[in-house]
Amino acid sequence: MALWIQISSGSGQPIYTQVAEQISEAIAKSELASGDKLPAVRKLAAELVINPNTVARAYTRLEQAGLVITKTGSGTFVSDPKLRKSDAADINVLTERMDNLITRGLNLGLEGQDLITMFKDRLTKFVKKQMGKKK
Amino acid sequence: MTETVLQTLGLTKYYGSTLALDHMNLQIPQGCICGFVGRNGAGKTTAIKLMLGLLRPTAGSSRLLGCDSQQLEPAIRQRIGYVTEGHRLFRWMSINELEKFQRAFFPKQWDDKFFADMIEYFGLPKKRKIKHLSNGERAQVSLALALAPNPELLIMDDPTLGLDAAIRRQFLEGMIELIMREGRTVLFSSHILGDVERVSDRIAVIDKGVLRANCSLEEFRAAVKKVIFSFTDSPPAEVDIDGLLHCRRSDKEVELILVGTADEQIAEWAKSNGAEKHQILQMNLEDQFIEYTAPANHRRLFRWEEK
Repeated sequence: MALWIQISSGSGQPIYTQVAEQISEAIAKSELASGDKLPAVRKLAAELVINPNTVARAYTRLEQAGLVITKTGSGTFVSDPKLRKSDAADINVLTERMDNLITRGLNLGLEGQDLITMFKDRLTKFVKKQMGKKK
Repeated sequence: MTETVLQTLGLTKYYGSTLALDHMNLQIPQGCICGFVGRNGAGKTTAIKLMLGLLRPTAGSSRLLGCDSQQLEPAIRQRIGYVTEGHRLFRWMSINELEKFQRAFFPKQWDDKFFADMIEYFGLPKKRKIKHLSNGERAQVSLALALAPNPELLIMDDPTLGLDAAIRRQFLEGMIELIMREGRTVLFSSHILGDVERVSDRIAVIDKGVLRANCSLEEFRAAVKKVIFSFTDSPPAEVDIDGLLHCRRSDKEVELILVGTADEQIAEWAKSNGAEKHQILQMNLEDQFIEYTAPANHRRLFRWEEK
């Protein structure tokens, strides 16, 4: 399994969040499917040349978000989307982020319809791949 | 329980009447990579030399692997690796000779194959004399010499100073490789904050001989924040908030550098001082370091003034 994780060490974003977010995105795009095994912490640390504790921290974060599960002794796996629970707080965060994007879009002078088109267009970038892979 | 492999207690050094290190209390737990950062002349090299027993402290003490730094026996020294600033190696020796020389200090655990593999990977001819190597090549030999004895504690004084990005990365890889072995610990000083952020899980910040931070990197990253408050009228004349490090103001804005102030406390301050809005910025490690070690009331060197 190839993970295309890019580390930017001068950024404001801590390295563990960079790792966690790029893996989340790979899961959302189905580049990593349910049941896929993530690289061992030490292997990924050596590959990315980052501290193993940083990788472990990123995995913990993904686990807290319900995206992966760790099975003692065998490794960390992408969880089954059907079993992921989203609570009210998660939905709130999502709503807040959407509001933020809508505000920016409208301030740029875009119409509501433009935003919907853009949203659909971006969504296909994620969902299409998912369809393609399942065939 | 994690063992402390390096501990200093009130470690102090005067050179004549100049105070170089002021009561440093540093602990480094086993298994971590600790980035040791500070501006030029902050006391990093002095601290490292004291830890290794290469200098006598004016006061205080330090212990490596449970043994007093001033009385490190050969048996303890064999478990410690040290890379000097500038990679000073014996210039008249060839790489081969230097390996033999160095191996003699670590008779039990020297890994011949590991050393040979590294030299081959770097593409260095083993018969070449050190004086005929470039700075980068000398640094590579120094890295191989540091890792071959598989030290329990590796201390490196600014090992990547003046090296190109590729060789710097090899040093980072070397540290990660070592730390993956059971119970290994690394302390390294550097001015490249991006490198420190990449491989360290702990950070020690020293400023004018005083240890100002000694914590996990994550804690440090979360603690130092820049907040910009915007006001419709002029901002308050006095700023009083916990953890205030620097305060800069303009007509309608106040920019604060805060250490360890909770977000709720920041929101509370904004509210009670009538700020219209406030924004907490995610700083990168380099900016955090510069702000953290800047003198009070410091200004930019150059400032653009509207005419």
